[in-house]
Amino acid sequence: MVIDWSVAIRSLPILLKGAVITLELTAGAVAMGVVIGMFMALARLSKRWPLRAFATAYIDFLRGTPLLVQIFLVYFAAPQLFHFQPPDKYPYIAGILAMGLNSGAYIAEIFRAGIQSIDRGQSEAARSLGMTQAQALRYIILPQAIKRVIPPLGNEFIAMLKDSSLVAVIAMEELFYSGKLIVGNTLQSFPIYGTVALIYLAMTMTISRILGVVERRLGKSDIR
Amino acid sequence: MISVKNLHKYFGKLEVLKGVNLEVKEKEVVVVIGPSGSGKSTFLRCLNKLEEPNDGEIVIDGIPLSSDTNVNAIRREVGMVFQRFNLFPHMTALENIALSPQIVRKLKKDEAVAVGLELLRKVGLSEKAYEYPERLSGGQQQRVAIARALAMKPKIMLFDEPTSALDPEMVGEVLAVMKDLAQEGMTMVVVSHEMGFAREVGDRVIFMDEGVIMEAGTPEALFNRPQNLRTKAFLSKIL
Repeated sequence: MVIDWSVAIRSLPILLKGAVITLELTAGAVAMGVVIGMFMALARLSKRWPLRAFATAYIDFLRGTPLLVQIFLVYFAAPQLFHFQPPDKYPYIAGILAMGLNSGAYIAEIFRAGIQSIDRGQSEAARSLGMTQAQALRYIILPQAIKRVIPPLGNEFIAMLKDSSLVAVIAMEELFYSGKLIVGNTLQSFPIYGTVALIYLAMTMTISRILGVVERRLGKSDIR
Repeated sequence: MISVKNLHKYFGKLEVLKGVNLEVKEKEVVVVIGPSGSGKSTFLRCLNKLEEPNDGEIVIDGIPLSSDTNVNAIRREVGMVFQRFNLFPHMTALENIALSPQIVRKLKKDEAVAVGLELLRKVGLSEKAYEYPERLSGGQQQRVAIARALAMKPKIMLFDEPTSALDPEMVGEVLAVMKDLAQEGMTMVVVSHEMGFAREVGDRVIFMDEGVIMEAGTPEALFNRPQNLRTKAFLSKIL
């Protein structure tokens, strides 16, 4: 089979459309992960043991099982368990849901580390001024912690972007799946998968550059 | 104002406070000295419940500190200044001071800012109101920290080695602020080794060692005529 690069060029619009879906999936999943992660991090640091136990179980399960299996659990097993007919857009919903649940566990650990990295003196000072624990968290700890978690959060975004290729298994037409379809029709594996890889690379490189700039900005106003 | 009876505190198996008794009257300035590890900081931290005592009784301004007292109510009345300042780095000096009056005392923002500016003037830092802590020297940071504690209008101020983390040339400016405060009649408990300050401002000096108060007296008596052997040994090292 002769390598035909023109296929890659002709397929570019389809692949880029797939890349947009990939970005949507990732953004949706990380947004969901931030919400879950914040809740789980606070639950894990809570004084109430049932909350702690729940968060620990959640984080352990989602970090200790493969994302691929989790995708199947959401896509195939959830409809069976909860007796519902998957709607038309279910691959999209299930993709974001599975990735969001998964990244929630990783982001929970990022937030927990961020909160714990703030000097104990900060919360002692806040508490000594009569603030409640919730006020100390809201006004003193979280504003400082959020600055510190932005870089690892960016890394999580990049990791999710790459892992999103796994949702191709549930026929979600993101970048990798689009490539797979084209290869199926044209058999030009190398030009197409090569292009797919380059598009992923372009996205991850762009994001990590942006992160670098953000980090340097944050570094300027950081103190300790 | 402060009454402490038979206070015990353990860290694990280590007994850090072995029955501390102390009465502090209103407007009194008590200076606590002692070697490191003597329990003096732990004692101070028990007074606003940053540490939970294991046994004993503390009464602050008539309110007993038990496990079910509203600890935030106590802390509103007891200001604390830390060795390492602990200013909030993401806020300006003024914001550091004006935050807790707003969210704890429910002052309006402009009222809290007015309080903050007044206190900054008092500690001689009016021109630093809009600076972030990283732009301030250690002495300036500590003065902001004192102003921040005062903004809550506490009845008692606790100082945990307020000048130990400072360069020598900055110690004076912090002590001057503390002296003003004492002269205005603030009830103060100060853990410090600044003998000059203790002599000049302190009503009473307490020597702590091995988790108990070994000796107490006026600065003049304790420094010039220490009775306890350990007090003598300690003073000979630091004077």
